[in-house]
Amino acid sequence: MTVDLTQFHAAFFEESFEALDAMEAALLKLDVGSPEPELINTIFRVAHSIKGGSATFGFSDIASFTHSLETLLDELRGGRMAVTVAVSDLLLKSVDVLRAMLRAVQAKQPIDAQRVSDLQFDLEVAIARKDEPPAAAGPAVAAAGALSQPGVGGEAAAPKPPRWRVRFHPYRELLARGNDPLRMLRELAALGELEVRVDAQMLPPLADINPQDCYLAWSLELPGEVSEEAIRQVFEWAEGDCDLTIERPACAPEGLREAGLPPQTPAATPAQPTHQAAAAQSPPPPRPEAPAKQEASVSALGDSGSIRVSVEKIDELMNTVGELVITQAMLSQLGSHFDGADAEKLRGGLAQLERNMRELQESVMRVRMLPISFVFSRFPRMVRDLAQRLGKQIELKLTGEQTELDKTVLEKIGDPLVHLVRNCIDHGIESPEARIAAGKSGEGTVHLDAYHRGGNIAVEVSDDGGGLDGERILAKARDRGLVGAGDTLTDAEVNELIFLPGFSTAEKTTDVSGRGVGMDVVRRNVKQLGGKVEVRSERGRGSRFTITLPLTLAIVDGQSVAVGTETYIVPLISIVESMQLKSTGVTRLSGHSEVLSFRGDYLPIIRLHELFGVEPRSRALHEGLVVVAEGDGRRVGLFVDDLLGQQQVVIKSLEANYGHIEGVSGATILGDGSVALILDVPGLIRAASTRAAA
Amino acid sequence: MTTRKKQPPVSKGGRPVKRRSAARKRTRDDGSLILACDCTVAEAATLKTQLARRLGESDAVTVDVSALQRIDTAGLQLLAAFVRDRRTAGRAITWRGRAAALEAAAGLLGLHDMLELPREAGR
Repeated sequence: MTVDLTQFHAAFFEESFEALDAMEAALLKLDVGSPEPELINTIFRVAHSIKGGSATFGFSDIASFTHSLETLLDELRGGRMAVTVAVSDLLLKSVDVLRAMLRAVQAKQPIDAQRVSDLQFDLEVAIARKDEPPAAAGPAVAAAGALSQPGVGGEAAAPKPPRWRVRFHPYRELLARGNDPLRMLRELAALGELEVRVDAQMLPPLADINPQDCYLAWSLELPGEVSEEAIRQVFEWAEGDCDLTIERPACAPEGLREAGLPPQTPAATPAQPTHQAAAAQSPPPPRPEAPAKQEASVSALGDSGSIRVSVEKIDELMNTVGELVITQAMLSQLGSHFDGADAEKLRGGLAQLERNMRELQESVMRVRMLPISFVFSRFPRMVRDLAQRLGKQIELKLTGEQTELDKTVLEKIGDPLVHLVRNCIDHGIESPEARIAAGKSGEGTVHLDAYHRGGNIAVEVSDDGGGLDGERILAKARDRGLVGAGDTLTDAEVNELIFLPGFSTAEKTTDVSGRGVGMDVVRRNVKQLGGKVEVRSERGRGSRFTITLPLTLAIVDGQSVAVGTETYIVPLISIVESMQLKSTGVTRLSGHSEVLSFRGDYLPIIRLHELFGVEPRSRALHEGLVVVAEGDGRRVGLFVDDLLGQQQVVIKSLEANYGHIEGVSGATILGDGSVALILDVPGLIRAASTRAAA
Repeated sequence: MTTRKKQPPVSKGGRPVKRRSAARKRTRDDGSLILACDCTVAEAATLKTQLARRLGESDAVTVDVSALQRIDTAGLQLLAAFVRDRRTAGRAITWRGRAAALEAAAGLLGLHDMLELPREAGR
């Protein structure tokens, strides 16, 4: 490997020291006898990441030591070993030793090998003796059998929610992409008592196995107390490389767990549900910690400032709010026609209702919003790993992580982003040598950015690599018969080719990208979310992929406009301003098109009645109104008969109920019960320009 | 302390490399199949070749795991196929030595039974 890892050393040391501080703090909080699983997890993670890092950088002494430490922690985490005073001391000593080792390595000085090997030996002794009362540890020792994880064991716990059932079916290439089910299952086991059933049906005879492929699938069960989020997080890295279902029966009887199949994995089932079971299993179970355990259960259940609500419930709420918005619109419309003594009061009340509706709707929507950092957070490590594997030097820049997105959108955007980032690293950024030869710094940059743009969220993945190689793309496309030999394409059209199914120009297939799944999948996934992907690229300078996504899938602020007898909704966010035209402000160009002079700019006019084939009240521009709207950075004037009013409208998908129409993003039901189309301004601009071109 | 270290009670975790290769040498002669220290996806192709070579052997194959320190799904999957294929053909395998990594991993992946790992070793 030609990568110079020393540049990462400083970061590794810094992180490790911080992590060790965290580990120490967690250790100090750890209650002997009834450890909180989360604390043990924190400690485990520290050991694990230091082990990984030191192995990567070739600090084998540290790696070896942390391996022993990790093994011990794994025992604790799995509940196979009790947290005793002795163990806790041992762990604290390990922190000290690790710190000393890291300092020594950092200062390029020899490690105190004696001290390290002594402690490592003690760790191994502790692991080996975990089933016997450790003689050296003194009296303050709880035997393994008495220990159970709070919140999972103890009889004091409230009725348990039904257990999660997770079906995890990796795709073949999961392993080759650097994911390991073992690691995921280990993390799951750390969340709570894990039952594992493997499905090895697909495992072919040894001779037919491709050693890099994964043929196994798993059915897993986890305690209901574990949050779905936590489970999902475990699989986050494998998203897109596996089929995953996480569900739990709506209301399973409490007895289910005991009656259920015996777990096949004794190693991963730390706690027996009842004391009787524990007593029956481990011969001498001194049980000193019953009250402590109870306390732990209570605190584990009681101190959370949040409740878990299923997504369906929120969706239901959202739907109801949507219907309410429609009803409120209906009432407002009725109210505006009222006359009489109480009409003023009625209108006041309706205005109040509208305000409250808006607040309600915003609150409900906020429940569903999560910062995009949930998705971004997986990238630093991914980028580092990939860069290492490919021998490239890459800096990852993340900005706009706090931009919030609807949860549904967020969940589905991870996959496309992973693809894009992988592509940037694999195809985009050149090798350090090539970069330096091209006069750039050896270190490439991948930049992930998220921001609001109009009514949308834009997520950008850009790199300062070589950019798309138009000639190679074109050659490849010709090769595959996607483009005729004689056709000439614009640069933009050439760039579009990469979104065709099965298109990859990687010279050799790496395990990172170039498997024929790629940009087409990205585009399809994004489209399913009502968004779009665009690419801009400059040869030698890099490329920029922009994913534009709707902020929410449910409600939009709209201006209703009249065209003939029809009503259309223009999203308020797209509107720059509305105005009445003087006939002098309009210039007719050759052919059919008209432009309007707007603040020193000329904007094309789109006559909606022409586009939608509606009979307008008037065809004369000065008799109607022009709505100046903006989409994808372009402005146009939409010619309409009249402006009706501003209101919130609930988006009903046209695709789901009818089919896609260019220029229309959905439909809504108005207060009077009629249906109005919601205009998609960028789409309108496209539709109009293709008409103009035709 | 150092004198104690010569006979550690467990067969894993940070044992010096030298000792592993010595162990390998000692047991190579009796025809047992010795798993390497790393049986992960990076070494999976080698492992497959190693296992495939012994698949058809009519005598019981002894798989020595005492050197094994790291194993992942790729490695376990190959072992599972090996054990299963041998079993279907009516040929036995026996395990020699203990490897915490193997036992823990097999337990987590639910492959403990399929691998026919010794019960008491499985905790």
